[in-house]
Amino acid sequence: MKLFKKTEKEINKYQKAFDELLMVLGKERVLSAIEDRICYSFDATKQKALPDIVVRPGSTTDVSNTLRIANKYEVPIYARGAGSGLTGGAVPLMGGIVFDLKNMDKIIEIRPDDFTATVEPGVVTKQLQDEVAKFDLFYPPDPSSAAFSTIGGNVAECAGGITGLKYGVTRDYILALEIVLPDGSVIKTGGRKLRGVVGYDLTRLFTGSEGTLGIFTKITVKLIPKPEKIRTLAAYFRDRDDAIDAADQIIDNNILPRTLEFLDYMTINAVRSYSGTDIDEDVKALLLVDIDGTDESISYEMPIIENACKGSGAFKTKISETGKERDAIWADRRSISPALYNIAPHKINEDICVPRSKIKEALQRIDRINDQQTIYIANFGHIGDGNIHVNIMYNNDPGQEELAERIVNRVMKEVVALGGSISGEHGIGNKKSQFMEFEIPPREYDIMKRFKNYFDPKGIMNPGKMFIR
Amino acid sequence: MTTDWKTEVNKCSKCGKCQTVCPVFLETGDESTVARGRISLAEALRDKQIVYTDKLRDYVYTCKKCMRCRTVCPSDVDYEVIISALLRGVADEMGIPLLPKIVFRYILPRRILFDLMLKIGSKIQRFIPGKRRGQMRHLPLMFMGKRWIPVLAKKTALKKLRTTRKLKNPKMRVGLFTGCLINYIYVDIAESVVDVLNRMNIEVVIPQGQLCCGTPSSTMGDHKSTKKLAEVNKEVFESQNLDAIVSACATCTKSIKLDYLRTLGPSWQQMSDRIYDISEFIEKYCGDDYKTKPVDEKVTYHDPCHLMWVRGITDEPRNVLKKSADFVDMDMAGSCCGGGGIFTIIHYDLTLKMLERKVNSIERSGADTVATNCPGCIMQIADGFAGKDSKIKTTHSIQILQKALVNGNIDKSV
Repeated sequence: MKLFKKTEKEINKYQKAFDELLMVLGKERVLSAIEDRICYSFDATKQKALPDIVVRPGSTTDVSNTLRIANKYEVPIYARGAGSGLTGGAVPLMGGIVFDLKNMDKIIEIRPDDFTATVEPGVVTKQLQDEVAKFDLFYPPDPSSAAFSTIGGNVAECAGGITGLKYGVTRDYILALEIVLPDGSVIKTGGRKLRGVVGYDLTRLFTGSEGTLGIFTKITVKLIPKPEKIRTLAAYFRDRDDAIDAADQIIDNNILPRTLEFLDYMTINAVRSYSGTDIDEDVKALLLVDIDGTDESISYEMPIIENACKGSGAFKTKISETGKERDAIWADRRSISPALYNIAPHKINEDICVPRSKIKEALQRIDRINDQQTIYIANFGHIGDGNIHVNIMYNNDPGQEELAERIVNRVMKEVVALGGSISGEHGIGNKKSQFMEFEIPPREYDIMKRFKNYFDPKGIMNPGKMFIR
Repeated sequence: MTTDWKTEVNKCSKCGKCQTVCPVFLETGDESTVARGRISLAEALRDKQIVYTDKLRDYVYTCKKCMRCRTVCPSDVDYEVIISALLRGVADEMGIPLLPKIVFRYILPRRILFDLMLKIGSKIQRFIPGKRRGQMRHLPLMFMGKRWIPVLAKKTALKKLRTTRKLKNPKMRVGLFTGCLINYIYVDIAESVVDVLNRMNIEVVIPQGQLCCGTPSSTMGDHKSTKKLAEVNKEVFESQNLDAIVSACATCTKSIKLDYLRTLGPSWQQMSDRIYDISEFIEKYCGDDYKTKPVDEKVTYHDPCHLMWVRGITDEPRNVLKKSADFVDMDMAGSCCGGGGIFTIIHYDLTLKMLERKVNSIERSGADTVATNCPGCIMQIADGFAGKDSKIKTTHSIQILQKALVNGNIDKSV
C-alpha cells in the first residue's frame, strides 16, 4: 500500500478541513489513526488506497456539515456502506475522506398502509427485508450480499440480485431520497407515494450514481405483498444450449419465475471438486427455478416448468417440497464463491447483461475468447434476465493477471456488440470505467458528465470512479 | 498442519461476509472490530506499513475469538492463525501487562500457588458486601465493574475428587480435564460429570497434575506460557493410559483438542482424536444405552461459540437434554452470550449488549432453566439473570442429565 503522495499545499489544505471537521463533528466521528485508515482502505475488489481520514456521521446534519467542509477545501469524499462493492466504488483512490455510513442504520418507519418503508442508508438490506416481512410485505431486490450490504450501497450501485427477472432491481423500488449535495444542501426527491410524474426523475438519476453526485441520508422504498409460498426446481442438462432453451421455454409459456439461475459446466465442476455435490459428472448445465405465489398458482406453474425443462433436454429434475429441501437444492449455488476460490486465488467477477435472445451467442463468444483454455472461466447467474456472471479465475503466475484483464476487455467488447451491457448489477466504479465508452456513445457520455459537473462542480464526490475521459 | 499467517491473509477476498456473524461488529458497525478489518491490519503489519501501537493492540484485543467468522467465510480463511499471530505479535512487541504476566508465567503453571492465590481470594470474598442468588459483586484483582459473579469454592474439584471411584468392570476409562472455572468455582459440575459417567459404567480419572488449558495466556499472545501449560498437560494425561479425555468446558475442549495441535505439533494428534465434550462423549459411547426419568423442568440450551462454531457440536447436548427434561429450543441459541476472557473485562459495555440479547432469547423460550456446556457461558448468563433478579436458572447440561438419572434412581443403566 502506498501512502497517497500530496504536495505541501494539499496537505495544508486537508489539515484545515480536518481540524474543522473535528471541531464540528467531534473526535468520536472523525478517525485519523493509521489503523483506522487501513481498515477503511479497501472494498470487495481487494483494491487498496489509503484515506487521509475516516468520518462516521450519525445524522443528516453530520453529513451536511462534512460535505460543506469537504467542498470548501476540495477534499475528495468516498461514501461507504458495508464495503462489499465489486467495482471499487468505496475505494478512496485519491485519499481524502472515507465516509462510513454504517452507523446511520435506523429503520425510520414502515408504512404497511402505503406499502413503503423509509430507512437510513446504513441499514443492512436483509434486515430491511426481515423487518417488512413481519408485516407480510416484501422488499424484492436481493443481491447475494443482502445479508451484509447496506441499502445505501445498493441504491448507489443500483444493485440487482436473483429475483430480478420477476421483480426488477433496486431502481424499481426507490420512491424517494433525501440527498445531501456536495455544498451541504439537502434535497428531497420523490415522495412516499407510489406514483408521481412531475418533472425530471431525479430519484432515478441518483439511483446508480455511485456516490458521484451526492450522499443519501434517507431512502424510501416501495414494498409489495409478500408471496405466500416459494418452491424450487432444479433441472440438470447434458448440453448447455438445452438449458438456455429450457429457460426460454418457461418464459414462452407465460410464466415469470421469481428466479431463473444458470450454472455452466466450469461452475458445476468447481462446486463438485469443492463440496462433493451429488451432481453427475456428465451434467453440463444446471437451472435453478424459484416460483412464488399461492399453492394453487404454484401447482399450476410447476408442472409446466418441469415439462419445459424435460422437453428441452433435462434428463433429471428435482422439486423442493419443504424449506429444507429448497436449501439443499440451493446449496450448490451458494457454494460457488468458495468453490471458485478453491480453483485459483484471484477472481474477476463480471456482471454482463445481454438481451435474453443473445445469451447462447454471448456464451459461445466467451468460449472463443478463451479457446486456448489458458484460464478458468466459470459462467453462472441470472439467465432469466440475461445477467450472467463471468468469473475469470487467475493465479499468481507471471502474466496471469494481465491475461485475465485482456479477457475481460474482449468480453466487454463482445457483450456490447450483442447489444448488451457491461454491468447488470455491480456498477462501474473504477474497475469498469475504461469500458464505459464501449457502451455509452460520446454525446450521452457528455450529458452524463454535465450532470456530474452540475451537482459536483469541484469534483470531490468519489473522484476516479465512473468517468475517466 | 501449520499455516503461515503471512500467506493466509492473502486468501481474504475482502467480501465483508464476516460482518454478518461477528458478535462484536453487530454491536459496533466498526470495520476495525471485524475479521476483515483485522486481516487488513495484519497485511499492513506484514508489509511493514505499520507497527504495533496501543490502538492496534486495542483492535486485536477486541476480537472475541469465537471463530464464528470462519463458518461463513467464502474463501475459507484460517482466521484463527491470523488472530493468534496478531496476539502473539502484540505480546512480543509490546509486552504483556504485569499482572497477567505474573499469573501466566508464575501462577498458572504451579497448582499449589494457584490454589493458594484462589484460597486467599475465597477468604477475602467473604467480606465483600452484596450477594444475589449466590452471586456476588466483585472478585478482587480479576474483575472490574458491576458483574455478579459466583463465589469461589472452598475446596477445589481436583481435591474433592482426588480418589478415583473404581468400577468392577468398567466399559471405558476416561480422564476428566477440569479446567479452571470448574476446578475453582463450579466444582458441582465436575461432580456431576463423574457421577453421570460412573452411572454409565465409565471410570473417571482426574489426574492431579493437570493445569489450566492455556486459553487465558494464548488470548493474550503469551505463547511461552501457553506452550508450557500444554506440555505439562500432555505429560499428565499421556501417563494415564486413558481411552478418552472428556471436558465439560467448551473452551477447554477446543483448547486441548485443537489449539494443542498447533502448540505441540503432530505428536498430540493421537490424544486429540480422543478428546470429547462431555455431551459429545455420552452420545458417542453411551448413546441409547442409558435410561432417564426426565425432570419436571422446561429446559433450553445455549450453544457456546467454541462448541458450536468451532466444532459443530449442536445436536449432542440437545439429545442429552431431550432425554432429561422438557426441552425447548430458543431462537438465536447460537448467538454469543458475550462472555469470555479479557474481552469481558475491557469491553464490558459491549458484552452487556450481547448478554441482553441472549437473556431476552432465553426469556422468550419460556424455559425455567437454561443449560449450556461451558462454565464461562454459565457465569456470563447467570450474571445477566442476577442483574435482573430473574428466576430462570443457569446450569450445565450434564447437571440436568444427572438429575434425570437420579430422578429415576438409575444406576449403571448400561
